[in-house]
Amino acid sequence: MSATLHKPAHEPAGTGGLWAAPPRPSWEEEPGRAGLAGKGLVLSLACLGILFPIWIVVVTSLSSRRTIDEAGGLVMIPKGVTFVAYQELLSGGQVTRAAVISVLITLVGTLFSMAVSVLCAYGLSRTGSLGHRWLLLALLATMFFSAGLIPTYLLVQSLGLTDSYLALILPSALSVFNILVLRGFFMGISQELVDSARIDGAGDFRILWQIVMPLSRAVLAVITLFYAVGYWSAWFNASLYLNDQDMMPLQNVMIQLVQKQEAPVGLGQAIKTGQLSGLAVQMAVMVMALLPVAVLSPFVQKHFKKGMLTGAVKG
Amino acid sequence: MPLLAACGGSDSGSRDGTTSGKDAKKILPAFVASNVVTPDIPARNGSAIGFTAKLDLATLKTSVPEKLGKGGKVTVMSPFWGSPPKADNAYYQGMNSLIGVDVAWQNQDGNTYDQKLGAVLASSDVPDVVVVPGWNMTGRIPSAIISKFADLGPYLSGDAVKEYPNLAAIPTDAWQRSIFGGKLLGLPQPSPYVTGIVPLYRKDVFDKKGYTVPRSADEFMALAKEITDAKAKRWACLDMKWTAWQMFGVLSGSEKPLGWNLVDGKLVNRVETDEYLEALEWTRKLFAAGVVHPDAELGKTAPDPGPKFAAGEFLIYANNISQWWGRTAEQATQNPEFRIWGMDVFAHDGGDPHLWAEQPAGIFAFVNKKASESVIRDVLAVANVTAAPYGTKEYMMTNYGVEGTHYTVKDGVPVKTDKGNNEVLNAYVMVASPAATIAHPDFPAVAKAQVEWQQHAGAFTKKSSFYGMQITEPARYTNLSDGFEQLEDDITRGRKKISDMQQAVSDWKSKGGDKLRDWYKKLLDDNGTAAS
Amino acid sequence: MAHSTVPRSEAEADETANTPAAPGGEAAARRKPPSGRLSLRVRFRRDRVLLLMTLPALLLVLVFSYVPILGNVVAFQDYDPYVSDNGIVSILHSPWVGFDNFQRIFADSAFWGAVRNTLVLFGLQLVLYFPIPIMLALLINSVVRPKVRALSQAILYLPHFFSWVLVIAVFQQLFGGAGLLSQLLRQHGYDGLDIMTDPATFKFLITAESVWKDAGWGIIVFLAALASVPTDLYEAAAMDGAGRWRRMWHVTLPALRPVIALLLVLRVGDALTVGFEQILLQRDAVGPGASEVLDTFVWWNGVRNQDFGYAAAAGLVKGVVSLGLVLAANKAAHLMGEQGVYKK
Repeated sequence: MSATLHKPAHEPAGTGGLWAAPPRPSWEEEPGRAGLAGKGLVLSLACLGILFPIWIVVVTSLSSRRTIDEAGGLVMIPKGVTFVAYQELLSGGQVTRAAVISVLITLVGTLFSMAVSVLCAYGLSRTGSLGHRWLLLALLATMFFSAGLIPTYLLVQSLGLTDSYLALILPSALSVFNILVLRGFFMGISQELVDSARIDGAGDFRILWQIVMPLSRAVLAVITLFYAVGYWSAWFNASLYLNDQDMMPLQNVMIQLVQKQEAPVGLGQAIKTGQLSGLAVQMAVMVMALLPVAVLSPFVQKHFKKGMLTGAVKG
Repeated sequence: MPLLAACGGSDSGSRDGTTSGKDAKKILPAFVASNVVTPDIPARNGSAIGFTAKLDLATLKTSVPEKLGKGGKVTVMSPFWGSPPKADNAYYQGMNSLIGVDVAWQNQDGNTYDQKLGAVLASSDVPDVVVVPGWNMTGRIPSAIISKFADLGPYLSGDAVKEYPNLAAIPTDAWQRSIFGGKLLGLPQPSPYVTGIVPLYRKDVFDKKGYTVPRSADEFMALAKEITDAKAKRWACLDMKWTAWQMFGVLSGSEKPLGWNLVDGKLVNRVETDEYLEALEWTRKLFAAGVVHPDAELGKTAPDPGPKFAAGEFLIYANNISQWWGRTAEQATQNPEFRIWGMDVFAHDGGDPHLWAEQPAGIFAFVNKKASESVIRDVLAVANVTAAPYGTKEYMMTNYGVEGTHYTVKDGVPVKTDKGNNEVLNAYVMVASPAATIAHPDFPAVAKAQVEWQQHAGAFTKKSSFYGMQITEPARYTNLSDGFEQLEDDITRGRKKISDMQQAVSDWKSKGGDKLRDWYKKLLDDNGTAAS
Repeated sequence: MAHSTVPRSEAEADETANTPAAPGGEAAARRKPPSGRLSLRVRFRRDRVLLLMTLPALLLVLVFSYVPILGNVVAFQDYDPYVSDNGIVSILHSPWVGFDNFQRIFADSAFWGAVRNTLVLFGLQLVLYFPIPIMLALLINSVVRPKVRALSQAILYLPHFFSWVLVIAVFQQLFGGAGLLSQLLRQHGYDGLDIMTDPATFKFLITAESVWKDAGWGIIVFLAALASVPTDLYEAAAMDGAGRWRRMWHVTLPALRPVIALLLVLRVGDALTVGFEQILLQRDAVGPGASEVLDTFVWWNGVRNQDFGYAAAAGLVKGVVSLGLVLAANKAAHLMGEQGVYKK
């Protein structure tokens, strides 16, 4: 989390500088003291409701076993910082492997999903091209039905994808919604630029790569984040299609360690005998799962609205 | 007696039923007793055999003079309770080199094993060996076992087993249970027929606080209230449902056929008995009294009780007898004061308890039908080592690991190291085991107490009508009683009422329970009973 | 899918516009090439690169969305997954049973329990889910400092990107039997409280979790709608002497009404699909009585009990009813003069 996030969400008015309010329109009355305070309070509470649980998780993960025992469980006020839990988890055991697996799946999966989606979105971005209507309809139709869990499961199993990471990528690789957002954006790109490139002899692949994509950085960032978060957060397909426990990604390991409160592989004895706090270990796993998301999403934040709003679908 | 084929009318195929009498005799391996070490306490009342004298580690016998393994690779999927060790650890390496087979473990969470089992068996890459506990044989799993696993008869029936002397020493009633669909499919893990669930308690805390071990349901309740102090994070116990079954003499629920018993010429199922409802009601009161640790509310997802038991958050829990020694060894080096002990079973009214026998083998290892002969031979080589009796090098390796790494010898007694406690768990013992044995050279007092506990319980144990048989129910009835366990937990935790159970039982009867009763009755008429 | 449609708004006041003008229908219309006259062959030659580009996506959709539809035939079978090593081959070897599975389903009280839970959860989420994002959006919209706006949005969006596993783990730490709330209660002499395993309050728990996770994200749409209200409307209202609250009542809320109505309608289309992953993760803790929804019912009977024919039948019933609801919702959206997720 960046440092700015730790500043209070709503400082009292009038401190000037970056936090200064721009002038209100002349017709709008200046808000009263009570109004301002009330607004600040509600907004702060809402933000606190999100930050406080995260705070506890982070602090407990960094606490020693003694601090945790003294607090009777979760720690709200830190007393010293120790990285013992992280050291144990990242020293090459089950959690390290799961984290590496999750990172790799997220990277490969996101790249694959983006490549296929961008190509498809561009391929469908010219109205009136051959088959354009039918292809679009074939994609759109999938937003209205789903074949169902059982047939999909039987299919993936029949394709021999059990115990293969392809089972975590292929069946969920595409979001039609994301393709439509990309397509909507591509269609808004100035036709003159595209036309002049074409006159210069550029093919569609080059136009996509050199003109369309650089102009679409904002929406590409948003969709990349959506796909990446999807892969990073997924656990169900792994629980369904992976039998080998050593292949499990981080979320599935988190289910075992945090929800079922099992001890990580190799650390069972240390936790059973109280040399290591099981709670700190659980919290550390949770921090590992939330860290990449908490770090990356604010960077893309300014593009969210644009990305979401261009999702309006054209038929 | 005939090989039992379908009894259920329109059910197709001959998969359901059981195999007994002459047909079974043709299949069963010969029994050749092993006499490597004579037990200090012989088996009595269905107990295990016990070894309590000091074991001379320097002169361990060898029961497998030459490696039978041909160096092949064997994958084994097995349930695992607790936190599994890393895949390539010293214990697995040591075992593999002793056997001469490269065993690769696919350990699955034992508590949710049924969720994975069905999927794995339906896929095209079934591991070479799959371990299936009897209680996971629900739904279509029995039919999958019959269609997916190899017939071991050609390798083991009759005198063939003598090639594997440690397998030949496995008691015949355990092999009898390994016959599925008329063929010898399983490698059994023999177990004492005395109930395996012990009410375990913190003896050190009991002694310090002056608590006395309860002898009746009321005494238990009173003690539980005395112990509990939620403010100080101390509760009396976890879910004591299993102890309640024992107190009230409820028929066994660990395997469906055991839940039936012939009473006055009519088969009665455990869910139809008054004892069942009484036990549920008592457990419900226990939860309602607030003396149960909150973790127990979680039901199936409840965490491993070990750490919180060691921390004294609760003082009593009911679990497998193996934890008596397991927890002792686990805490010995770090928490020398910690003492776990088992309460003798008692009846709810303080009189003599009535217990029901469990099956003489409950967990089986199966070999993939597609496995080549050399793989099957390698698997049998693994089993021949893991089934080695107490007092042999092979037993010591299987149960204690490598000397110097997993245990050290202090005053002639093996003491497990932290590494030993991390790595020497489950795994190899799941493939096949010797006749039920209790022997803990590191804690002989625990071993003695365990056998005595079993013999005390065994004195009050009776066998129900289908004891000892391996029975495959017709497919359409296999899911019939799936809902009861959940309903039990809902009732004891106050989410449902006893009347909901009565309703569920009458639904169960009309949905097929009564037909199933007829099916079992016919089975009994055709095969007779092992009950005594 | 709730956010898949948003009224087109040009006014993106506080967004950096480093991209070309917002895509609009006009641009698309302008460049529509005359296609009617050209022969198929010429058009193919012209567009073959475009077709090639769509190929990977279409292949994926075909294999993983269309082909599995055929697999629903197991709903009419006593499907035995163990007759062969391959799910599809097993279909060929399993006996056909007509509508048996459907008859069993409609006689199964567990199925109707799942239907009831699904509908109750849907209702709760509908009632509790909408007001919170709207209020938050109004609040943020009234804040003028850009930094405060950006920061509070960054925080409020954050949980949307957390996995369900994480969200539930967080709730367990706060409200579980060994969680913070119980810990504090006990330290002050009260009984602990385990909200995570209480079937009586489970549906509220589920709703609270989804509000915590997604309410912040939900404000995006409403903020956009608010930004699209022309300032002169406010100014005119202010000139007429309308105070802050009257302006909100007479200008702001009417502007939001179509968006709210549209989102509501679209959500109805998704009524039978409530929080599958979220509930599956907590099913064991509270028991199926309170937690089973249609999707988990299918999972339990199929994946867990290998009764695939039965599970597929339940899934098919759900799928058909859902499709009907989606189509009806879109129809309703059209009637409201909105665009829906598709347009004829």
